[in-house]
Amino acid sequence: MKVFIDPPNSMILFDLVERFGHEPLSSMALIQEKVDNIEVDMPPMNVTLDDVVKGLKYAGVEVPSGIRGRLAIWGPMIEAADAAIIIDNPPFSFGCVGCDRSNELTKYLIKRRKIPTLTVQYPNDEEEAKTMVGQIRDFLGGLKQ
Amino acid sequence: MSEARVTRLLMISPDSMVTPDQLVRNVQTMAPGINVKETCYGCLAESDARTMEVVIAKVREQYRNEVFSKVRGFPVGDPRRCRAQHGTRPGFAQLEAEWATLPLIQSALDAIDAGDTDYDTPVEKKPLPVRELKQISEAFR
Amino acid sequence: MTIRIAQLSCGTEYSGVQYEIESAARSVGAKIVYPDVSYDQVKNALERFGFTPKSPQLQLMIARAVSIADGLYDADAVFITTCFRCAEAALVRNELRRFIQENTRLPVVTYSFTERLKASQLLTRMEALVTIVSRKELLARERQTGITAGLDSGSSTTKCVIMENNKIIGKAWTASGDVVQCATEVLEEAMKMAGIEFKQIEAIGTTGYGRFTLGTHFNAKLVQEELTVNSKGAVWLADRQRGEATIIDIGGMDNKAITVRDGVPDNFTMGGICAGASGRFLEMTARRLKVPIDQLGAYAVKGNWVNAKMNSYCSVFGIQDLVTTLGAGKSFEDVAAAACHSVAEQVYEQQLQEVDVRHPIIEVGGTSLNAGLVKAIGEVLGEPPIVPPDSQYIGAVGGALLSSGCL
Repeated sequence: MKVFIDPPNSMILFDLVERFGHEPLSSMALIQEKVDNIEVDMPPMNVTLDDVVKGLKYAGVEVPSGIRGRLAIWGPMIEAADAAIIIDNPPFSFGCVGCDRSNELTKYLIKRRKIPTLTVQYPNDEEEAKTMVGQIRDFLGGLKQ
Repeated sequence: MSEARVTRLLMISPDSMVTPDQLVRNVQTMAPGINVKETCYGCLAESDARTMEVVIAKVREQYRNEVFSKVRGFPVGDPRRCRAQHGTRPGFAQLEAEWATLPLIQSALDAIDAGDTDYDTPVEKKPLPVRELKQISEAFR
Repeated sequence: MTIRIAQLSCGTEYSGVQYEIESAARSVGAKIVYPDVSYDQVKNALERFGFTPKSPQLQLMIARAVSIADGLYDADAVFITTCFRCAEAALVRNELRRFIQENTRLPVVTYSFTERLKASQLLTRMEALVTIVSRKELLARERQTGITAGLDSGSSTTKCVIMENNKIIGKAWTASGDVVQCATEVLEEAMKMAGIEFKQIEAIGTTGYGRFTLGTHFNAKLVQEELTVNSKGAVWLADRQRGEATIIDIGGMDNKAITVRDGVPDNFTMGGICAGASGRFLEMTARRLKVPIDQLGAYAVKGNWVNAKMNSYCSVFGIQDLVTTLGAGKSFEDVAAAACHSVAEQVYEQQLQEVDVRHPIIEVGGTSLNAGLVKAIGEVLGEPPIVPPDSQYIGAVGGALLSSGCL
């Protein structure tokens, strides 16, 4: 099944979803298409003006462009997802997950889709890591292929 | 998804004894047509999607809980992403943080492999009711 | 030498504007760089800076700024930019600008972008950063020597000044039209006033929107953006070449707020998307009131803006408000004062929040001839600005002064 991961660029989540037999939806794969397929000498980084305009579907024009640009990538992924896994308190969220408002909206959009969703806490020690990995394994194992 | 190119980032857990050099040499032999570049954390691998499937399956088999992986958007050596060109992109600090967490994930996966699949379900802590806080405060008077 | 401009930003890649920023820098011979920071540095930097925004990218921005401030990263200038309409980012952007200025001597420019940003909008700003870094010696020039001319091709007016041995000996201005034709006209008029011939002019400096065209046409020794040129002109005219000052330059199309140290800008902002915050608004008001533009100020000084209600800063709706007010029987004076107050308030809200106002405040540009606007700026800022003589000629004076350094 297609599993949306949040943060959408997390290597740990991507790896665990794939390891436990499902398809992680990641922002990296979408960025790849843009990087490869825009036929100009140096494509705009990550998103184009058109993408940001498409982001109006998720947030109005009074919302900063960076939020709309992010949602233009993540929104369709959330719509395509069969399930989602969210790390609730990741200490690492730079780059594309650098905007807190975008991240809040992303969580809300997942919730609104009413797909099976697992929220895990970021681990601080081995016991907590066992909990996080165990929860993810059980959740993914319970999803119908 | 584009079939033309798949770029993968392979990261070695800090607790592993595998070196980037060993990983690169091994990955290079896993399938014809794979392009591998050594990095400080492991390597970047690039090929068509089918080859990559084979390679990732082999990596998982041979380095089960020691090497982790995700797709990367930009191709290997792309000047737009290259650190030497203008400094690190924001995602670098995130990767660094995830790298530091890998030993915890590795140990959790090892435990599962060893048959230890029990874990503590996290208990959510609730804030102290105001009435109790009041009682505690009054005790200090 | 490639100038290294350190970018401290949030949202550029996800607004599709990173490429525009990089091409603007490239076109003026600079390169955008990102200070390297490790994950641990982020944590330490936040503790040191004392402000922890919720957005991690803003946290990274802070860490990068701290790395520059501590001298761990080598950059020549700093460009701080975040998404327009993001409150959290606006707070960080301004505090980081202040932090960089307190801890380094690097020139800083701040900018809030939308997804519509194009490289051309950043050109003047990037060019100014490059000029400040690469022409340090030229910008340190405080005296004009020989006979030189400065041509300032602005959006509303074209100005020329001829200087000899640190004195203005000829000057002229005209409304802008054909760039070369207007410049030729003012140059001839200024030469006539100075009593000199073209061949006696040893160097020409051009600035303003038409600077490149004029630079080629007149074979100018200096072709430079108006931020640095106007600053030099302003401090020369106001005799404030040493120490600190804030220059407020409200032009026909855009306005600038520049802080200077010894006549060299170290921080500046530039507006230009709203006609309501420019001289154009005053022109439109004058036309609507059927008052000559040069008399609008005199009316405004006698009026009280409080009496004329304006619900909009917009050059369309705001002026409509003024006309309605006039219809309700309010005086021309009050309406003129309200128009001036509106421009002053907007400059205060849009530009002056992005710089730390230093004293004295020097008001220049064509609009500084409008006594009503000068009064309004004084009211809004709480202190009257200095308006030097020939304050509309800053660009031309700066051009003449700096081009003498090329002799």
